[in-house]
Amino acid sequence: MHSSAAPRPVSDAPREGTIRRVIWYGLVLAVLVWCAAIPVLGGNLSLYFAMMMWVTLATGLNFIAGFAGYMPFGYVAFYGIGAYVTGIAVKIVGIPVYAAIPLAGAAGMLFALLVAPTLRLSGIYFAIVSLSLAVICQRIVSLLPDEITGGSLGIIIGVTTDREHGYYAMLLVLVAALVTASWLAHSRLGRALRAIRDDPEAADAMGVHVARSRLYAWLLATLFAALAGGVQAWFSGALDPQTAFDVLVTAKTVIYAMAGGLGTVLGPFVGTVVLVWVDELIWRSFPVLNNFLLGLIIVLLILFAPRGIVGSLMQRYPRLRAYIM
Amino acid sequence: MNTVLLVNGLVGGIVFGAVYALIGASLNVLCGVLRIINFAHGEFILAGGFLAYVLLNAFGLNPLLALPIAAAAFFAAGYLLYFLLIPRLARSDEPETSSFLMMFGVSLMMVSTFIWIFEADVRPVNFSFDPINVVLFTIEDAYGEGRDGRVLVPTARLVALAVNAVIIAAMTWFLYRTLAGKAMRAAIMNREAVQIVGIDIHRLSASAFGLAAALAAVTGVLLTLVVPSIDPNGGADLTLIGFIVIVLGGLGHPVGALAAGILFGVVEQVSNVLLPQAAAQMLGFMILIAVIFVRPEGLFGKVRSR
Repeated sequence: MHSSAAPRPVSDAPREGTIRRVIWYGLVLAVLVWCAAIPVLGGNLSLYFAMMMWVTLATGLNFIAGFAGYMPFGYVAFYGIGAYVTGIAVKIVGIPVYAAIPLAGAAGMLFALLVAPTLRLSGIYFAIVSLSLAVICQRIVSLLPDEITGGSLGIIIGVTTDREHGYYAMLLVLVAALVTASWLAHSRLGRALRAIRDDPEAADAMGVHVARSRLYAWLLATLFAALAGGVQAWFSGALDPQTAFDVLVTAKTVIYAMAGGLGTVLGPFVGTVVLVWVDELIWRSFPVLNNFLLGLIIVLLILFAPRGIVGSLMQRYPRLRAYIM
Repeated sequence: MNTVLLVNGLVGGIVFGAVYALIGASLNVLCGVLRIINFAHGEFILAGGFLAYVLLNAFGLNPLLALPIAAAAFFAAGYLLYFLLIPRLARSDEPETSSFLMMFGVSLMMVSTFIWIFEADVRPVNFSFDPINVVLFTIEDAYGEGRDGRVLVPTARLVALAVNAVIIAAMTWFLYRTLAGKAMRAAIMNREAVQIVGIDIHRLSASAFGLAAALAAVTGVLLTLVVPSIDPNGGADLTLIGFIVIVLGGLGHPVGALAAGILFGVVEQVSNVLLPQAAAQMLGFMILIAVIFVRPEGLFGKVRSR
């Protein structure tokens, strides 16, 4: 991405920063209250759960794809690992599900550390290797003995807690992801990452620790994928290698994040909310053509709004930068 | 170890490997000339297979005769698709990543079109040569004293291999001996310089897209001879194989893809004999990752200077 693409806090007047922050945290608070009220008001729990999960994933992906400029096409690997660690911990080891979720997050980060050398690869090589890693994970999980991963049939966790507990756990993870995103945007690390993305050599020359900054972004991104996968396994009560490592999970995450605008804090949030609704509408009205229309939307988005909704708006109306984080 | 099985695996490996090589070669034309990472490549291949299927069932047309039809139809389609999709794409900030995503969208559209027309079942392609199998050679005393083992190969696979070899030879000749082919190789090396010497980059790129689509469709037709069924959901696996082959062989390296394809096919088929199936598939990915870490430029590629 070139420097012009990145919506950045140019000559950050402190007042502008405050406005942005008030708007953003106001929005996060509104989402928190709205989503927290859904179970009480008797709304569609599954739909809102899905919405929260996709926002979490898209925001997490943004850490590595938007801020650091790496496109992990195997992002689903960490989601799947989170789901499987949760399933195994609860069903086989017998740990309470509340303790299993942090374990899932830790396992995701551990695996991220293991494959961190892939960050040396650039551009499309990284994307292809990452994709292959996800496929390998899926194959390994199906190959492991049935007593551990349930083989190709997967694991039935069953009902461990009240459904709403899983829902609120997702809400917690979502808020953590959103707060992390807004912190990252203004932290030293966030600035370092953008500098690296735009010009690694220049950033290095300025004293930015390139490898370490990328690693931190990678760990943050994978942590939220693993947490989302774990909570999803808890909420749905079942998992299998096909759905836990489905390429579509990566694809949807990338599309949602890109639709909103990678590199902005608000983008993945907006993109997901809009597209999940569109997806739901399409699914309801044209069940047969669902994937066709989804594909068409992707093609049109890439061709006509490659910077996403938020990115394009900011490009057209630069004054908006004062209000959008 | 049973020698007959092993030799069978080896022969199968060469047949499949040649198909993989062709997949890699067409994908490489797109990667090299256009810097497009075609996520829908597997679906292009399936489309060729479905065309052969329809021609066979509706007109009783031999798949070998479907080859030139598929090539011509898909060259035209690819040529037009280029102007529809690619010039706009080039304007985005990161064309490579954007192309990957856009072609993913195309792949979703194609898969759901296949399922809409042909439904989600695996379609058998009922076509066979006479005789169905050919005894390639006999291994004496393979099962002990006086019991010889015969290495049987389906005739269709041998025909596919022969046609495949001809196509690969023709493509190599095209890329290295004709002006248009040389221009394409030059575009792989340096897109800007090619325009300076007066080559119409849009026409060249559109031809490259057409060529890649035609090759993919031809691969699909040949694949119906090697594996006589078409799975509308099988495109992603083919795409993945294509990626493995071009990364092994070197991105944008036309001959590297051929060698890598054969290597991958032989490893896969032979390890299918020696290992459980899922493990055999995994071996391919393991090789890929090992190569990427040791030689990121691929087995045959040169380091790309940016």
